[in-house]
Amino acid sequence: MSRSSPPTFACWLLKTVVPTPYREAILGDLIEEYTLRTESTSRFTASRWFWSQTCRSVPSMVWSSLRSRDCLMSMSIAMSVYIVMEILAYAADLTISKWVAPQPTTHVILAPIIFLTTTAIGGCVAARFRPGATIVLALMVMITVAISIDLKVCTIPVPWWYEFGFLTLGPLAVIITPTLFGRLKQRGAVT
Amino acid sequence: MLALVRLDGNAHGMIVRREIEERTGRNISIGAVYATLERLEAKGYVSSFTGDPTPERGGRAKRLFRVEAAGKRALQISDQTIRRLTTGLKDRWRTI
Repeated sequence: MSRSSPPTFACWLLKTVVPTPYREAILGDLIEEYTLRTESTSRFTASRWFWSQTCRSVPSMVWSSLRSRDCLMSMSIAMSVYIVMEILAYAADLTISKWVAPQPTTHVILAPIIFLTTTAIGGCVAARFRPGATIVLALMVMITVAISIDLKVCTIPVPWWYEFGFLTLGPLAVIITPTLFGRLKQRGAVT
Repeated sequence: MLALVRLDGNAHGMIVRREIEERTGRNISIGAVYATLERLEAKGYVSSFTGDPTPERGGRAKRLFRVEAAGKRALQISDQTIRRLTTGLKDRWRTI
């Protein structure tokens, strides 16, 4: 992070939450003010101001997004991506259990890999359409995993941390993968 | 909207935020400013247009706002209403 570059996560949060018509304007305004503040105060103070503006802007932006039906669009994108994700995971699971690894132990090892790969792909696809859809998708993944754990869908006995891994890493993969790809792309463009 | 009138058109969100902060002493968020401006724009009281992108804004364009005739009329009506409602109350402020 250079002296004039604002907190990355705060920027990502704003990009995700702020409705499309005002996204660029709000980010631009905050970055401009942040740059001015880094010149007159310390970077820490400027970053603290940036974070305070971000945190206080999020509720009004979410409300504004709900009013403008931006949220409905994000939800429908997330839902569509989730359905495709589930079909992909089911197809991969079926292939593995029928031909590649019929043993339950191998299935237990491969299931998280399939799950994380499909959630990461889903996150990237959702972010490509609309950044806000990734948050909705992550919530959907978390809720469905929680329901699956509660209903004991997995018949093979597994330790608690295995299920907990699905619950936490799945939504994280949805959120983090598009950000990581974005950064890699940026680095590629710079070099 | 009063801040926009004071800034004489062509003002972007951060300038409006600063103006309100300086005049009222209240620290408001940029999100609240844009949410309000969005509502005013939907009502036809203000209009917005996109400015040129600048490097100090990370290559992002400004969204500039100006008050429309309907907005000015609404402001005048509000001003007259407040004046009518507060007429003769000056002496009572001390007793409240």
